[in-house]
Amino acid sequence: MGQLGYRKLDGMADTTTTHARSKRSAPGGDTAKQVREPKSWRPFLLLIPAFVVVSFFFLAPLIDVFYRSISDPTLGVQNYVWLFTTPTNMVVAFRTFATSLLVTIVCLLIAYPYAYLMTVVSDRTRNMLQLFIMLPLWTSILVRTLAWLVLLQDTGPINGILEAVFGIGPLPLIRSTFGVALGMSQVLLPFMVLPIYSALAKIDKRLLPAAANLGARPVTAFFTVYLPLSRPGIFAGSVTVFILGLGFYIIPALLGSSKEIMMSALMYQQISGFLLWGHGTALGIFMLATTIVVLALLGRASKGTNLFAGRGK
Amino acid sequence: MRNHKLKRQLSVVALGGVATLLLAGCAGGNDAAPVADRDLAAPVAGVIADGVFDGVTLTYAASGGIFQDGQRDAAWDPFAKISGANFLQDAFDAGKLKAMVDSGNVTWDITNATQFDTARGCGTLYEEYDYSQVDISKVPEGTITDKCMVPNILYGLVVAYNTDAFGDNPPTSAADFFDTKKFPGKRTVSQSPYVDPQTVEFALAAEGKDVNDVTVDDIDVAFDKYRALGDDVIGWTSGAQAQQQLESGEAVMGLVWSGRGYGAAAAGAPVAPMWDEWMIMVDSTAVPKGVKDPQAAFAAVNFYLGAEQQARMTELTSYGPVNVDAKPKVDATLETWLTTEHLKTGIAPNIDFWVENYDALSTAWASWVTGS
Repeated sequence: MGQLGYRKLDGMADTTTTHARSKRSAPGGDTAKQVREPKSWRPFLLLIPAFVVVSFFFLAPLIDVFYRSISDPTLGVQNYVWLFTTPTNMVVAFRTFATSLLVTIVCLLIAYPYAYLMTVVSDRTRNMLQLFIMLPLWTSILVRTLAWLVLLQDTGPINGILEAVFGIGPLPLIRSTFGVALGMSQVLLPFMVLPIYSALAKIDKRLLPAAANLGARPVTAFFTVYLPLSRPGIFAGSVTVFILGLGFYIIPALLGSSKEIMMSALMYQQISGFLLWGHGTALGIFMLATTIVVLALLGRASKGTNLFAGRGK
Repeated sequence: MRNHKLKRQLSVVALGGVATLLLAGCAGGNDAAPVADRDLAAPVAGVIADGVFDGVTLTYAASGGIFQDGQRDAAWDPFAKISGANFLQDAFDAGKLKAMVDSGNVTWDITNATQFDTARGCGTLYEEYDYSQVDISKVPEGTITDKCMVPNILYGLVVAYNTDAFGDNPPTSAADFFDTKKFPGKRTVSQSPYVDPQTVEFALAAEGKDVNDVTVDDIDVAFDKYRALGDDVIGWTSGAQAQQQLESGEAVMGLVWSGRGYGAAAAGAPVAPMWDEWMIMVDSTAVPKGVKDPQAAFAAVNFYLGAEQQARMTELTSYGPVNVDAKPKVDATLETWLTTEHLKTGIAPNIDFWVENYDALSTAWASWVTGS
């Protein structure tokens, strides 16, 4: 009983000091720097579940993967030498980044107008539009990809119509970059639409008439006012799509030919096909490192854009 | 203050507890009691005594589909019924097997691997057979290719061709597969993640080379031959995909597993096998290294090799039996696809060469399947 009372008092004292301090410093102007909670380690306890999960299920395996890459079959860098001296690896790594970039661009071009539409329609229509975007997420990726396979193959209905009506084809709709980009874009589209929508929804619509009032033509108003304000959404969506795209496996395998195979397939092959775990883990570490570098460069390029707040500085 | 200390101690204890639990979870499974050797009579293929494996659980890991279902119905479930064992099925993955063996926690008792897998992993990934516990007297000649296997199925890598396209003038040699002038249209070839040395050997056979006389340089010769087909070659990454390409007519010819060619024909597609030159394939039935109850595993394999079981297996899966006395009752379509009738024109693989030159092969294969 006594302890409880003591704790309550303790807590109250904390709050009052903070209040007092913030009030005192408010007129001084620079409030952000001075208003701070008293230093306490207690809030960090909230991190324990995340810390435990991440260390056991991500960090420890990652360290193991790294260790294997320099120790399987013998201690040394031979796996990395293999990685950089085998042309296949570099070709596939480049292809993986290029495909993911292409998909990011395709998603962006489709998602931006779509997200804009979502901000101008009625609530009811918006819910419908949102449902359309989420719907693919609820279907198995395998089923969707097989459906594309049936539609796009040389003897499939799309090529059949092209041939019967326009007398062209069969066009290489599958076993081509086109097929892979199409399949991946469909799967990844929601990850682009949602962040862009949340950014666009926050933009004050009156800014555009205001710009027009100052003599800007619609195109100028869009590029100088609207687009810059939506940058956080574009950035968040693009980074998400790009990174998710790097890890695709099933879609390139089914809708692409050998010329569209991506890094994940190469890793799977080394690990499960050849049982060369040193090679496979080295590829994994290489992908992780290059992705981090690309992210860091992107982060630099978009300085001032807060990725997580979904809102400009 | 006291309260804080207590709390901190508690959280440390809790963290430690979680860690211990997780570690225990990882290390578990190492403590299986050694199995006392049961007194079984001399093995006769396809025979097991009543109730000798009461309470024993065995797991078979293979590639799934009607293939594994057929094997289960033909041999593993009947074995379980008689011996009293409990038989489970799982999906095989070589990487998973290596992880099991490395961590000393092997949960598979019998696996289906390629004969190259067992030749390469004999003694490290796979247990050597005690052939005194398995009756191999009825196994087709030459199908036991290393000490860690008995044959699982007898099948083939064969050219399946579209009879609508080439019915009047069918291909009759491996070289015809590469002749796009005489046989125009797309061909499908394995580009699966799993190295297939016999795809390489097929191209060399088409060049007129003896597979027992190949060199490392020949590997590139073979892949260049496939690459020279250009747009006329498409790849398959799984048996199901090969079958789909044949059925849809996407490919007018394919170098595919005999069972998949049969699958397309059985589904009504106009597809027939070319037996003039084909690659004999044998899969291994293998026991993983460090298996908990080798005696039970060997006894189950011995049962699997029975004539009756093999006949039933063939009827259910279309793959050839590995007991020379097996007399499967098959329909006319399946009869045209049964490899066991055409062994004279088949080419057996040069296993030793591929095990020795695995690195060169895997590098070339990786380059082939990634199109670079």
